[in-house]
Amino acid sequence: MEHPVLLSTLLGIGEPYKHVFYTWCAMIILFVVGFLLRGKMKTIPTGLQNFMEVIIGGLEEFTVATVGEKGRTVFPLLCGIFLFIMVQNLLGLLPFCDAPTANINTNAAMALFVFLYYNYVGLRSWGPGYIKHFMGPMKPLVPLMLPIELISHMARPLSLTLRLFGNIRGEEIVLLLFFTMAPIAATFPTYFLFFLAKALQAFIFYMLTMIYLQGAMEHAH
Amino acid sequence: MLLGKLFKSFKITDKSYLSALSHAGTIGLHMVSGIVVGTLIGYSLDKWLDLYPWLTGIFMFLGIVAGFKNVYVDSKRLLAAQKEEDEKRFSLQAEDSSDKNTRV
Repeated sequence: MEHPVLLSTLLGIGEPYKHVFYTWCAMIILFVVGFLLRGKMKTIPTGLQNFMEVIIGGLEEFTVATVGEKGRTVFPLLCGIFLFIMVQNLLGLLPFCDAPTANINTNAAMALFVFLYYNYVGLRSWGPGYIKHFMGPMKPLVPLMLPIELISHMARPLSLTLRLFGNIRGEEIVLLLFFTMAPIAATFPTYFLFFLAKALQAFIFYMLTMIYLQGAMEHAH
Repeated sequence: MLLGKLFKSFKITDKSYLSALSHAGTIGLHMVSGIVVGTLIGYSLDKWLDLYPWLTGIFMFLGIVAGFKNVYVDSKRLLAAQKEEDEKRFSLQAEDSSDKNTRV
């Protein structure tokens, strides 16, 4: 099932590289928004600045309420992940565009980065004592708990990747199928549903990253 | 307008509901991914050390336990969030009723 008309095909970018092209599209959209707003920040926000402040302010409030004041140190990354995935997901709803998150490579890259980053934060905060996070609650159970904890930590990037990929790819396929069956009438209502689902997936990725960072920063149980 | 109403009816603007929804959505795959990772580690170790059924079985068991542990931790977090939310709601209700009492 292929997308009928794509901007990347029109620009001469092949099928295997289109997700890279659309990732750059998402980055350019975010950069443009940032540069547009940077020069003329107002005390009383209007328009686009208001919209972005609602999103970022709400996320910051949520992060600080969950992680505590320490959450402010990692908030730029968390907010960046949410906005980036949100824009990438919503690119799939635009005509001539495809969601880069519908390709497993984009998601695997982001999930591996999150995995490396939260372990780095844990090592930075605890030093060699970070190993206590993998040892479980009781001393005698350490030989059993260590492999279990290691496996459950390694399962994290896998579940992050597969969840985002499965949801977005599935939505793209459903949209294409509906479009071939009844071009406008069937796709229009699904747009609302998929808008919610895509926003929820971006939020889930953000929230899981936050939980992993929280787990790395707080005391071992 | 319509979109705003739709969002309100799905309670997507309510942050606690959103976080509960996303917590519940993650539980299923957390269980599966633990098992998959455990089995893959065991299988590749078996291929390397040529001990076929043993390490696959052991690591698959460990993966299943890890999957259960993930679900356990997730549901504990979900319950804690629920409790916090309930407490907040009750305290708000208490404030509301005390306001009414003072007014009367």
